Amino acid sequence: MPSGALVLLILRVLRSGPLHGYAIAQRIHTLSSDALRVEEGSLYPALQKILLKGWVTAAWGTSETHRKVRFYTLTRNGMKQLEAEAAQYDRQTRAIQTILRSA
Amino acid sequence: MRELLRRIHYLLNRRRFDDELKEEMAFHREMADTHGGVPLGDALRLREDSREAWGVMWLDRFGQDLRYAFQAMRRSPGFTAAAVLVLAVGIGATVAAFSAFNMAALRPLPVRDPETILRFQRHAPGRTSTEVPYRAVAFYREHARTLSAVLAQTASSLSLKGAERSPSTFFVTANFFDELGARPGHGRLFTADDARPDAPPAVVLGHGFWASHFGSDPSVVGTSAHLNGKAVTIIGVVAREFSGLAGDAPAFWALVEHHGYFVHGSRLLTDFSSGVTMWGRLGPGASPQMAEAELAALAAELRRQHPGDIWEDERLLGEPGGYAPLTGATSMFALVGALVLLILAVACGNLGSLLLARGASRRREMALRSAIGAGTGRLIRQLFTESLVLAVMGCLGGLALGSLVLKGIMVSTEAPPWLDPTPDWRVVTFAIAMGFLSSVLFGLAPALQIARQKQKKTVGRTMLIGVQVASSCVLLIVAGLLVRAAERAASTDPGFEYEHVIVVEPSLSEHGYTAARARTYIQDLSARLRGIAGVEDLSLTSTPPLGDRRMTSPRQLDGRALDVYIHQVDPQYLTTMKIPLLRGRNLIEGDDRGVVVSESLARRNWPDRDPLGQPFKTGNEALTVVGIAGNARSLALGDPDAVELYRLARERDLTEMTVVARTSGPTEALAPAFSAAANGIDPNLRPRVHLLKDQFHQNVREIERGALAVSVLGVIALAVACLGVLGLVAYSVAQHTKEIGIRMALGARPGHILASLSSQFRGTIIGGLVLGVLGAAGLAQLLRRELYGLSTIDPIAYISAIILFLIAVGLAALWPARRALRVDPLVALRCD
Repeated sequence: MPSGALVLLILRVLRSGPLHGYAIAQRIHTLSSDALRVEEGSLYPALQKILLKGWVTAAWGTSETHRKVRFYTLTRNGMKQLEAEAAQYDRQTRAIQTILRSA
Repeated sequence: MRELLRRIHYLLNRRRFDDELKEEMAFHREMADTHGGVPLGDALRLREDSREAWGVMWLDRFGQDLRYAFQAMRRSPGFTAAAVLVLAVGIGATVAAFSAFNMAALRPLPVRDPETILRFQRHAPGRTSTEVPYRAVAFYREHARTLSAVLAQTASSLSLKGAERSPSTFFVTANFFDELGARPGHGRLFTADDARPDAPPAVVLGHGFWASHFGSDPSVVGTSAHLNGKAVTIIGVVAREFSGLAGDAPAFWALVEHHGYFVHGSRLLTDFSSGVTMWGRLGPGASPQMAEAELAALAAELRRQHPGDIWEDERLLGEPGGYAPLTGATSMFALVGALVLLILAVACGNLGSLLLARGASRRREMALRSAIGAGTGRLIRQLFTESLVLAVMGCLGGLALGSLVLKGIMVSTEAPPWLDPTPDWRVVTFAIAMGFLSSVLFGLAPALQIARQKQKKTVGRTMLIGVQVASSCVLLIVAGLLVRAAERAASTDPGFEYEHVIVVEPSLSEHGYTAARARTYIQDLSARLRGIAGVEDLSLTSTPPLGDRRMTSPRQLDGRALDVYIHQVDPQYLTTMKIPLLRGRNLIEGDDRGVVVSESLARRNWPDRDPLGQPFKTGNEALTVVGIAGNARSLALGDPDAVELYRLARERDLTEMTVVARTSGPTEALAPAFSAAANGIDPNLRPRVHLLKDQFHQNVREIERGALAVSVLGVIALAVACLGVLGLVAYSVAQHTKEIGIRMALGARPGHILASLSSQFRGTIIGGLVLGVLGAAGLAQLLRRELYGLSTIDPIAYISAIILFLIAVGLAALWPARRALRVDPLVALRCD
């Protein structure tokens, strides 16, 4: 999966509320009907990058298994970014599909 | 911007963030474990990948590299010390040269607001003059609105009662000291009141003259002195660190308004015939362009009042005035710059080969590091970091060494006290740049070669040695040329008598003499001098031998630009100076058109014709050659190419005349009698009397000093280059120990071993020598144009430099090569 797409997916699943890293991976997995599997090797670098950009914030909380864990929350900037990127992604896929079908 | 702040935040707290990441990922694993079956990667590696996003990894690595570099240096302190020393010498030489240039040219003079001071020159189509008539200066001062102050200065030599030589006096405007922020060392400086017509004449002492002549006695303030026989009160001594604006300090400072009081017949204040140097300080908000525009308008206005004295379309062009004028010294700086860069090149080449040689012993370490996963880029970065650490240390050493050397030079040459050798930001920046440049030069190539594990190819090393050989060769040859030039100047016959000649310079024009008065004066002086027992012969010239005055006419001879030194003399001159007349006749009184040329000029100008009777044009005069005299380089002692022309002095040259007298016995004994005779004619005039041989020896000493300085540079370069060759041969012997062992076991003689060892370097050294000779020939061309006029094709200088070089390099190579001969075949074969 391209890293830009992963960022987009992370932002998208965080729109419904704060999640911790593992839950983000799980949510993507479920939402894609088990088609996409996010490895921790790509998830955590992507999360660090998003944190640096200021699209999410992180705060420590307690997990469902009563363990200390970091929850990521979408910021206003992240929301804007998500909308912009989703629109762009839409345009691009539609364009690619047009070409694929016509050829 | 925010992102940058966050990055810095991460950088500062990276340990905490790292722990948090660890914690988070551990949780992820726990969850994955309980929900079954995700394959795990290496946790540490995954964390590193995440950290990469913070963008601080390079800093961590750099820190690692630094620590590693320091470890490596501690392991081999001998190598480190040698490397830093070589580098410090190389950088130190460039730093010393640059500081000198910075001090003299780049730094403004230590006066108040030097940036707003402009020095003005007169310009008109086809004419320029560095001096502005004082009356024009006064007019500009009165009317210019863009200039907040106008300063002026003119130099003169006034005789001082009781002093042997006439000390220099600078006549300045009353605002000079105040405007430049000068402080008195003792007493007071000039104020506007001192310039009032009814004010008593006053002078201020220069600090250097106060120390040398008055023994730094503060009580001299308030006493009176006699300058040109006129009484004057010493009102103060200027502070030691005051530089003035001309870059040198006079014995006395006086006021322009009093010029006429001291100098009999002065017209400085009354007409436009003589000028002063003019400076202006820009007023608030004024730009140099505005000042120039205003002065051009004022000049036009002044021309309406004095049409004959101000030129048509005259403008005054301003240039930065707060800096010491560097006339003629630029080529000297260029030469020194070229020489010190050569030393730096030798040092870098040397260090490069040292590093390469050391790289061989680190091959195992490098192999190990690459085996455990270090990439080539990482290894190069590591090695380059080590070079950088060396460069920083060399840089510090060089900075210290350079300033120390410069301070030493300044003390030994009695540099002006206002020159401050302390390194400023320019010097430090320069040193850092040199350090970085040299770390690239000496560090990058070996780093690449080592990291790629190709050290068996010796191309890089060969080139580095070649550079050293060539550079040190250039330095040695140039030194050789200068030494030879000095030798020649000192040992060969200059072509004229100097041992028994006394020169008397009355400087009549500076004291307002007209041609008619000058004629009477000179006749009187000649008669008195002839009356002194021991004087054999006496004559006149406008350009005293070995003096500062010279008159030249540029000419194309043999396709080269050459200066013809023109001597305006009386017919007796050649006889007095014992310059032989080779052919034709001497100059005759009344024959203004006849000239006598030197043999060298005759040979160059008319290679295939008889010069006698040939026309010779100078300016717009047509002259005829009537005689040929021997070569006498009396105005350019060190220049074997100097050519001379003698012609009769005309009426208008009389005020410029100097008397030369040849004596039968030692000149020292007669000098007091000469002074007494010369001082007795005009009480306002103290002619300068000096022995020609003193001047001759001083000239020779100057040439020798230049040769010595370059020789020292050459020897330093040679020593560094020898060190490099020594290291190279030692390395080569170590590398070939096994081979040498086998060959010795098979019966090779020591001679064979040495021959095969030397065959590796022969090409490099010969190539370097050839390059060096070519470089030296090029540099000598430059030198010849600007300096002592040395001969560019001086086989002895070239050959002796090359022989010296070969001997030194041979000895340096032989020392480690002896080890090769002591190799024990049994031991050699057993080692791996």
